[in-house]
Amino acid sequence: MALPITYNLRNVVLRWRATLATVLGVALVVAVYVLVQSLAVGLEKSSGNTGDPRNVMIVRKGATAESSSQVTRAQLRLIQYWPEIARDDAGRPLLSADVLVLINLPRREDNGEANVLVRGISPVGIPLRPQVTLVGGRWFTPGKREVVVSRRLAARFANFEIGDSFSSGGRTLTVVGQMDGQRSAFDSEVWMDGDEARSIFDREFYSSLLVRATDDAGRAALIERIEGDKRLPVRGLEETKYYAAQTMTAMPIKILGNLLATAMSIGAVFAAMNTMYASVASRTREIGTLRVLGFRRRTILLCIIIEGGFLALLGGAVGCLLSLPMHGYSTGTISFETFSETVFEFRITPWLAAQGLLFSVIVGVVGSLLPALRASRLPVIAALKSL
Amino acid sequence: MTIAGFIVKNALRNKRRALLCILSVAVSLFLLVSLLVALREITLPPEDVGAAARIIVRNKVSLASPLPARQRAVLERIPGVEAVTPFTFYGGKFRDEDFPKFAQFAVDPKEFMRIVVEAKMQVDQLDAFLKDQRACIVGKITADKYGLKIGDRLNFIGTLWPCDLELKMVGTYQGTIDDRNLFFNHKYFDEAMGNLGQVGTWWVKARSIDDMPDVLDRINRAFANTSAEVRAETERAFQMSMVSMWGNIKILVRSICSVVVFTLLLVSASTMSMAIRERFRELAVLKAIGFQRREIFGFILAESFGLAAVGALLGIGGAWAFFTHISISKLTDGIFVAFEVTPQIMGVAGTVAAALGIVSALAPAIAMARMSVVDGLKTLD
Repeated sequence: MALPITYNLRNVVLRWRATLATVLGVALVVAVYVLVQSLAVGLEKSSGNTGDPRNVMIVRKGATAESSSQVTRAQLRLIQYWPEIARDDAGRPLLSADVLVLINLPRREDNGEANVLVRGISPVGIPLRPQVTLVGGRWFTPGKREVVVSRRLAARFANFEIGDSFSSGGRTLTVVGQMDGQRSAFDSEVWMDGDEARSIFDREFYSSLLVRATDDAGRAALIERIEGDKRLPVRGLEETKYYAAQTMTAMPIKILGNLLATAMSIGAVFAAMNTMYASVASRTREIGTLRVLGFRRRTILLCIIIEGGFLALLGGAVGCLLSLPMHGYSTGTISFETFSETVFEFRITPWLAAQGLLFSVIVGVVGSLLPALRASRLPVIAALKSL
Repeated sequence: MTIAGFIVKNALRNKRRALLCILSVAVSLFLLVSLLVALREITLPPEDVGAAARIIVRNKVSLASPLPARQRAVLERIPGVEAVTPFTFYGGKFRDEDFPKFAQFAVDPKEFMRIVVEAKMQVDQLDAFLKDQRACIVGKITADKYGLKIGDRLNFIGTLWPCDLELKMVGTYQGTIDDRNLFFNHKYFDEAMGNLGQVGTWWVKARSIDDMPDVLDRINRAFANTSAEVRAETERAFQMSMVSMWGNIKILVRSICSVVVFTLLLVSASTMSMAIRERFRELAVLKAIGFQRREIFGFILAESFGLAAVGALLGIGGAWAFFTHISISKLTDGIFVAFEVTPQIMGVAGTVAAALGIVSALAPAIAMARMSVVDGLKTLD
């Protein structure tokens, strides 16, 4: 015979003063876990969300990141008229030869300096990346020292409003527009004319080539052709795959989250245990009565465990709610791939919230195991006699 | 029975609860100390690096932009400059690793040893490093991690520069702030790059600490209005600028610290009040037989303070023992090196524990003070 579930729930609410602290404790643990993991999710979503499936990126063999890659002009000339590359209406290949430069710029409010990734692109580089849209001002004019900055970067760096200018490499660059990359890695970039960038920053080579393949078959053929051409020390890969593989920055955050969760959950288990022991101790007589009424030991055991689990679940739910306001909040740190400031968001996914809840239930169940055992083993007569 | 004995007996009469309380305090303080140590490691370069009168010169655009090798002659003529070495980050993948797990720098061996004086090496190994252009020296931490021996051939695939290198290990060094790095001859790097004529940064030794501001100024002015303007800064300022790049991660770790402290407070305060509420009747008896409020408050305070102190001893002491006796660089695959539990951090954690003991005693003490003796005596549980 099972005890009605409401008995457990009402018990939790009845001793609210004692349980409140535990519920809050579990809530904070879960909130920390969810928040830290949501950063890792945000970082991964940002890189996983970048690129167009029709595009192929070409970088130097051996380079782990686009920013450390080099593509020579000779290599560009060799590749650009290959038939696997799509053309526009005027017959020009859809290819952007990009140069990536890190420049050191001051953050807003004297908050130190950081590297910003500047991407010099060919004019066709803009339509090749349809997920990037202009949200203010205009695009840069080729041949001029003008830049378009990401809206999210602009919130973090000084002199990034439209009309502002900053100097780097001894030249002055003017901000003429702001763009939005729809939560992709492009949200951490500044775009300008590729040839101007190469001249200002004294770059002989390009960093990478981005091309649009004619179709799916063309894309595979293009990648294969690059691989097969022994003159070319470069490799081609799908743009989306390149970005999706950039997960190095998220790793330490994930490790931190797991470490914190483990250590804090031990504390939370102790708290839950304490509360449940007290709860069992204060209803010794009640439990004795239940036994006399015919409820079995294992029913009592299960009952206390359910109670502990529910208590912690309550905390877990509160914790998820506590972390929710941070959802979508934009933050930034150094990317280990590009060595520049990367902007991303706290992303609390349903899956992450579910993980948090599961985590809290485990804390509750583990914490109530010993108290439940004790409750189920109470000698009936002594229990009844106790005050 | 003495008063101290009374307090200890009271604290331990529910042994299980006392243990749980102590353990949760200990675990939380251990976590707090670990976080503070990690935060210190990523935000604070060691204090003593200023003593070496070192200047780091990088491209004004950013650290990622190289400098022309021809600047060396200009640098060496600047008054107050004692030694100059190129210092180029090579960033090679070692053997079949996926990404560079330790840093390799190309330097001028002779000048390097004059500038980084704290690097301790055996004389014969140093000799080999100076003579052989393909030689390299490896920091002790990295050498131990990979089990590298003198005479080993080390192969690297360049991720940053389009050249692969084969270096011959001729020695190990230790005593620098980061004994993980590998150093090799810049001449070999130049050769492999086809005499590109570029270096990553310059490391400069000033004649004395007092000369530093002037030397910094002279270097910055020397290359103003050239194709490669530079930013010269002290080693400490350079490292602080690296720290600044961590961005919001610092705030994140700091807020986690405060949440940990708050959770800790919540849990132990509730345990404490639970323990007091159970013995309201006894406390009423104490009051009835003439103990004063502040005496009883003293009992409660001493008990909660004692529990917190034992927890602190276990947690902080445990953290200290743990991080002092294990190799943190092995544990985190080289992400953290020193992980030093400083007296200051132990002090902070100790203060938190003390505050915890006091605050947890407050709520039950107030409840007890408000209670009338008659009500207290009537309480059943």
